[in-house]
Amino acid sequence: MTKPFWIRFVGNARVLIGLIWLALVIVGALAAPWIAPLDPFAISGQPFVRPLDGFAFGTDSLGRSVWSGLVHGARTTLLIAVIATLGAVAFGGLVGAVSGFYGGRTDNVLMRVTEFFQTIPSFIFAILLVAVLSPSATSVVIAIATVSWPPIARIVRGEVMSLRSREFVQAAVTLGEEDFVILFRQILPNALSPLIVTGSLLVATAILTESALSFLGLGAPNFMSWGFMIGAGRSFLRDAWWLVATPGIAILLTVLSINLVGEGLNDALNPRLRTP
Amino acid sequence: MRLVRCLALAAGLGSAVAGLAAAPAVAQKRGGTLVQITQPEPPTLGSYISTANPVGQVASKIYDGLLEYDFDLKPLPSLAEAWTISDDGKTVTFRLRPGVKFHDGKPFSSADVQFTVMEVLKKVHPRGINTFSEVTAVETPDPQTAVFRLNRPAPYMMAALSGYESPMLPKHVFGQGDIRSHQNANTPVGTGPFKFTEWRRGEFVRLDRNADYWKPGRPYLDRVVVRFIGDTGTRAAALEKGEAHIAGFGAVPYNDVKKLEKLPNIQIETKGYEMLSPVVELMFNTRKAPFDNVKVRQAISYAIDRKFVIDNIWFGFGKPTNGPISSNFAPTGLYSADVTNYNVADGIDRANRLLDEAGLPRKADGVRFEITHDITPYGEEWRRFGEYTQQALAKIGIKANLRYEDVATWLKRIYTDYDYEVSSNHLFNLADPVLGVHRAFHSRFIRPGTVFVNGVRWSDPRADDLMDRATIEPDPKKRAELYAEVQKIVVAAAPLAWTHEISFATVLDKRYRDVIVSPLGLFSSFDRAWRE
Repeated sequence: MTKPFWIRFVGNARVLIGLIWLALVIVGALAAPWIAPLDPFAISGQPFVRPLDGFAFGTDSLGRSVWSGLVHGARTTLLIAVIATLGAVAFGGLVGAVSGFYGGRTDNVLMRVTEFFQTIPSFIFAILLVAVLSPSATSVVIAIATVSWPPIARIVRGEVMSLRSREFVQAAVTLGEEDFVILFRQILPNALSPLIVTGSLLVATAILTESALSFLGLGAPNFMSWGFMIGAGRSFLRDAWWLVATPGIAILLTVLSINLVGEGLNDALNPRLRTP
Repeated sequence: MRLVRCLALAAGLGSAVAGLAAAPAVAQKRGGTLVQITQPEPPTLGSYISTANPVGQVASKIYDGLLEYDFDLKPLPSLAEAWTISDDGKTVTFRLRPGVKFHDGKPFSSADVQFTVMEVLKKVHPRGINTFSEVTAVETPDPQTAVFRLNRPAPYMMAALSGYESPMLPKHVFGQGDIRSHQNANTPVGTGPFKFTEWRRGEFVRLDRNADYWKPGRPYLDRVVVRFIGDTGTRAAALEKGEAHIAGFGAVPYNDVKKLEKLPNIQIETKGYEMLSPVVELMFNTRKAPFDNVKVRQAISYAIDRKFVIDNIWFGFGKPTNGPISSNFAPTGLYSADVTNYNVADGIDRANRLLDEAGLPRKADGVRFEITHDITPYGEEWRRFGEYTQQALAKIGIKANLRYEDVATWLKRIYTDYDYEVSSNHLFNLADPVLGVHRAFHSRFIRPGTVFVNGVRWSDPRADDLMDRATIEPDPKKRAELYAEVQKIVVAAAPLAWTHEISFATVLDKRYRDVIVSPLGLFSSFDRAWRE
């Protein structure tokens, strides 16, 4: 008798650590207006105040609170990363499902298009998209989603193709069910576990991409984000380490946590790794 | 004839030299190499066709001009030994220095002056087109005399004859072929103290001492090497270690300048930018509501805390201001402080009052109206300035959303489509207000598609008329009065909010002396520079 999913999942110490940190970040992001009531761009003190000297994490070159930046930045960063990932999963999933289900010429055309996107270096492509669309929250989401969907399409296609020839699908075909009913009722639910794992890891990549874009000054200009904080603080690395170190550590821990959780999901969902 | 005599000028020069020598008199030593860092690498060395900053930093060592200038922006003799301006201001006669040779050994004569001004600067130099617009002919009665015939007086022209602004070219070299794509653009031949030797792309330009230079004994240095280092940190490190000796124009960021200043081998020089004088401004689209209302523009002018901006964004390298003309013009009398003072302690209160009067009350959420602020896409400090402005405007109930685009898109938005509300920029005052200031708000400069002109589309016949009169007014005193009036009108109308003058900082190795000796700083020839 195998243990239930939740026990297997949370029983893993690494997963637990990851979940705890993610929970903290999410709570911080949700509670941002209460735990840091000031606008993160507001000049709230002297510039370059050291951490713990009246401000928990100090202030930046204009006297903006780093703590406020961290929690409001968590909001922006997570929101953009999650929406972009959902977009990528939805679009990539659809392309992969159609491609794998119908095969033949449809598959051929869709996969060549996917490859076209895969051959462009993704970060350069994201920079280009943001520059062309002019930096805003929407354009950053579009850019990240556009560069992230091809791997999803690939995975879903593979899963769908292998499930397509299984008896239960063929039974559904014989029963005369509509294509999309078969696809969404029979096939996709069974292809969900690799999709969840890849999707969760994609959030981590999206956070990194968003941070890199903001670092380069291509982030959403009216939203505080961790990458923006690092970009704005990098000229002062030698005088004010906390401007770069705090958001940097936040990104590191968050991305690491997502990876731990994602791998935990993989371990828990992958039937081959199940211990009897 | 009203004579501007060489003698008086020579006396001025003498006192300037005496002033510099007030420090223990040390004899200049011959020899040594000066390594200058220029950022970025220039696209060309043809300073007669490109006014891009890095071009001037290199080419000014190779080409001389008819005149040089002292720190009070007064002209000094250079290739022209003496000059006279007729009483009506419409004839300017230059007596050229005899025995001057180009780097290829051929003599410099009035034919070269005629060629350079009429065929090159007046036609292809981006600013020369304006500077020499009144010049109808350059006559050459003999090889040592060049007579400029002007349609109307052009006093500003006398401020624009340096080797940087108006380089004198050899006719026998540049006279053949298309000047716009001349083969000698990147193998320049001039009369200057340093000869062009080599340009290794991506690395350096090497300039060697011109042994036949017309100033006896000069230059003192054997060589000037201009290096191109892409990375900011590496540039600062090269200066710190003494591998490079001079860098200016923000090649080293201000916070790093502060750090380098503390080193024993480094000195920071803020002189040498007096003929450039960038003034930072907030631009208002004056034909778009609510910025067509003068009270709204004045309110924003009051809302900017100049001291905060200078201290925290430009790290102290700046000077608060209210008007378009830089205080560097104070010695010439063209600068006037008698204007509306927006830099006051109760600026926020005044701004709020003005907005109330303008009929733009705060709504329930405390916001009067919402605007988009286009940030200048020039880098870090401009971005911080945009973010600061957003905060400052929030205090007076204006919600500003920031927009950040690439340079080309931004320029098109501001100067072609006029599709903006508030933006910021900095225009160089240059050698004279006619060249650098009129363009920002004279209605003649509302030219869709031309960048760095009147993008605010403000137009006032009275100001236009005063500027037109000042343009051709030969008497310095009357000219100063006209400009005082212009400044009063334009600052009160606030089509732009001038916030501060930027002081560029030159990082200089202390072993090198007499490097920054003119208002053109890094754009001067370095003929007096020497190494201890």
